Amino acid sequence: MDLIKTYSNIIKKNLGNPYRAFKLIKLGFDIVYKYVSFFPDKRLPESLKYLNRICIKNIKKPIDHPENSIWVNIFAPTELLIAMQIYPLFIEAYSSFMSGFLIEDYLIDKAESAGISNTLCSYHKAFIGSGELNILQKPKMAVTTSLACDANINSFRYLSDKYDLPLYIIDVPYEYNRNTVEYVKKQLIEMIGLIEDVFERKLDIDKLREIIIRENETRKLINEYIDNLRLRSLNSTMTFEMYMLFTSHVFMGMEETYSFYKMLINDIKRAPLRTGKGIFFVHLVPMFENSFKEYFNFNNEYHLLGCDLNFDFLAEVEYDDPFEGIAKKLILNTYNGGFNRRIHSLGNIIDRIEPDGIIQFCHFGCKQSIGGAYILKRFFKDKGIPFLAVDGDGIDKRNNQEGQSRTRLEAFLEMVKRR
Amino acid sequence: MVGYVCKYTPIEIIQAFDEEVLRIEPEGKAGEDVESLIHPNMCSFMKGALEEILKNNINEVVLVNCCDSIRRLYDVLKGKIEFIHIIDLPRKTDDHACSLFYNEILKFIKAYEDFKGKKIDLDKFIKILNDCKTENQNFKKSIAVLGARFNGSVLEKIKKRCSLNIINLTCTGDNRLSKIEKRDNLIFSFAKALLNSFPCMRMVDDRLRFINKNNIKGIIYNTIKFCDFYSFEYATLKSALNLPILKLETDYSDLNNGQIVTRIDAFLESVGAGRPNVKIKKKGYFAGIDSGSTSTNVVIIDENKNIVSYSIVPTGARAIDSAKRAYKTALEKADLKEKDIKYIVATGYGRISIPFSNKAVTEITCHGRGAFYFDREVRTIIDIGGQDSKVIRLDNSGSVVDFVMNDKCSAGTGRFLDVMSETLGVSISDLGRVVKDFKEDIVITSMCTVFAESEVISLIAQNKEKKDIIRALNRSVASKAVSLIDRVGRRGKYMMTGGVAKNSGVVYEIENKIGEKIIIPFEPQIVGALGAAIIATEIGNPSQRQQQLYNTGIPEN
Repeated sequence: MDLIKTYSNIIKKNLGNPYRAFKLIKLGFDIVYKYVSFFPDKRLPESLKYLNRICIKNIKKPIDHPENSIWVNIFAPTELLIAMQIYPLFIEAYSSFMSGFLIEDYLIDKAESAGISNTLCSYHKAFIGSGELNILQKPKMAVTTSLACDANINSFRYLSDKYDLPLYIIDVPYEYNRNTVEYVKKQLIEMIGLIEDVFERKLDIDKLREIIIRENETRKLINEYIDNLRLRSLNSTMTFEMYMLFTSHVFMGMEETYSFYKMLINDIKRAPLRTGKGIFFVHLVPMFENSFKEYFNFNNEYHLLGCDLNFDFLAEVEYDDPFEGIAKKLILNTYNGGFNRRIHSLGNIIDRIEPDGIIQFCHFGCKQSIGGAYILKRFFKDKGIPFLAVDGDGIDKRNNQEGQSRTRLEAFLEMVKRR
Repeated sequence: MVGYVCKYTPIEIIQAFDEEVLRIEPEGKAGEDVESLIHPNMCSFMKGALEEILKNNINEVVLVNCCDSIRRLYDVLKGKIEFIHIIDLPRKTDDHACSLFYNEILKFIKAYEDFKGKKIDLDKFIKILNDCKTENQNFKKSIAVLGARFNGSVLEKIKKRCSLNIINLTCTGDNRLSKIEKRDNLIFSFAKALLNSFPCMRMVDDRLRFINKNNIKGIIYNTIKFCDFYSFEYATLKSALNLPILKLETDYSDLNNGQIVTRIDAFLESVGAGRPNVKIKKKGYFAGIDSGSTSTNVVIIDENKNIVSYSIVPTGARAIDSAKRAYKTALEKADLKEKDIKYIVATGYGRISIPFSNKAVTEITCHGRGAFYFDREVRTIIDIGGQDSKVIRLDNSGSVVDFVMNDKCSAGTGRFLDVMSETLGVSISDLGRVVKDFKEDIVITSMCTVFAESEVISLIAQNKEKKDIIRALNRSVASKAVSLIDRVGRRGKYMMTGGVAKNSGVVYEIENKIGEKIIIPFEPQIVGALGAAIIATEIGNPSQRQQQLYNTGIPEN
């Protein structure tokens, strides 16, 4: 811990020199990668050790090779980029690492003093702050979806203007019908045209089909994993649940992602039975919050069973017409559309996993998610499952009221335990 | 009656059903009923709208999925009122998007026909569209109101106070349907025209290219707490347009209050768009009264702008009584009678409540004049008073060209230090000392006075050194001030005014952060009142005006 603090102080001292700061951050990623490769946590099952490595390896690629990278948000259809051997840098992950390096406060202050609203999502603010400080290396372009929140278009437009980048925005309509699929499909084709121009290379449609076929195979494994969670739990840490967001979204379709889920199935089948209380999370997992760490990291008493963002699309993607398939996938994402869609999908997953309690971590500034907190509360009350909405921040540790959330969490867990 | 919130709502369609439309404009803060329905960290407009709809039994509401908050408003209202419909608004405006929007409007018509059990009256629709006044985009010299949704009554106030034309380009803008193409499919043309309204921030289009810069003298930019859209644009707007901009940040319910009106007045004054109402013009002694939240200050000067006397008294419960007392004290000190004073200008929060003054001018303009009187090289004024803090940018002629103010909370103000001195059990003067020999670099993370207080209490409990805590507090106030400075941009020389300028600890920390010396006038609390008095000489003594221009460099407006 102190080592990270020292490292964080060194970066902070060098933030005035963008290139040196970038180098230091790059060095941080290199060290983390070496560390998890050579000294993996022995308490982890093989699959998660592997997950750790591939996530850092693939997040390093766009940092090491900005000239072959695109900034994306977590919902961007990266199958297209993977098919063109372009490295996606997804901003939410970048910000999580900056929080891990303990410099998120500085980055967020920088964004706010540039005039960005202090109530904006801190995943976005930390990234914008890095942009303001010029410690992000210029990628070739940027791609975002309007899904799942308002912040996407604005953050990407703001930084694209600043870095003078071509930006493609995929507008994902609310409802699923013939017209909306056509609307998104046309945009995807337009976007590929732009990417082909910018990178001066062509998309090989068969390669894309191959990736989508692998994606579908991977999703079968995810479904199998979900069904196993009803009985068993890996009892690892919250960080790994968040790492799975990399593989269930931006790195979806990669061979490594497929291998990971294959190993995960092996591990979960041999994992101990659920003897403690199983908790399922809505939206995010607060991996930097001490009280949560205490109860959910390597704990047999309470099992962290996952978060619904990892299961936001569980169907097959059509591969014969990949653009249409991806368009449908975007529109049908459970984070898109009315909140009843989200509830419906949560209901399904809950029925499959049968957790003992649900926690919604209300990430500060995330209106799309916290706006539904009380609707969820009523829904789970009717279903007879204990539900807790707790406020905090996934990135900016200053927005976490340790004492408050600890009391709430402990009271909730006591309640779950008594049942 | 059908309630709506967004300018992209097809209100003409609703009217064609012979139904009245009502734009929901919540006036007060949302109460407890709403807090039980929606998480408190949602946008205050959305919460207010929810309350308004439920309280006033607005049983039919049409929403547009314009933002995350309004999307959730729909989810919360569903099943609670008789008719609720959400229209999906595309973020692009190409042909495909138009036909999507067209389909959405047809879907709405169908849903409303089913609900009402009657058909849309297309003849009426045609008539409504024909009556629709299409305003010309080619405006005369104007002030543009941009940003998040703006309250109608405040807009009316601005119109009254502004000598120029006002264009409303916010979410509540009424400039719609400028170009309905005469086509066989009228509803399609209508949808297309509506989709092509002046784009809001959720749209993909670049808004700035729609703004005809040549006609705009200044921009009033409105932002609402928890509505993050517009901060992005504001951050780039200044450099892109190079126009004077006033940024407002409210929680919507308090848009219509005194502080906001002060800022609007000061802004209009600074761009030369205020409505002048000058009456009396005489010679002699002149007074400025600054009625602030914590102290009331009076300065009396002679016609050559020499300070004759001044007074500082704490502001009591009634601004008028303190003003009278301060005025009397200053007169006594100068050995003058009330009749000797030819013209009085009042400034500060209480400026309009002082009946014996001849004119009210905002404290921003007054601070600008006052600071320039002390040092003509001042370009940035940092004014931290009891309840608010502001940073004012002057040009080389001493005119206010830009300013920012903190929002309603007391973070980073004199009140913050008052509270902390009580918590720490040290006097205000002890809190003001410069700490160079600190033991530990403590950081107070909370900006909020209440949270910071509990942070300080826990620091005391940890037996931290008092001087380290003092240093941390001063640094906290300094960092808030520096972030305000950064919003107008750094430029020297700097002058600090207001009560907190007497706290050398804070001054030292600000100087550290900006790397430059700050000028502190001999009495930093009277700068506003001095500026007011200077303005009084100008208005009340026109024959001296040229001479004074020479003395102070204040240009004629």
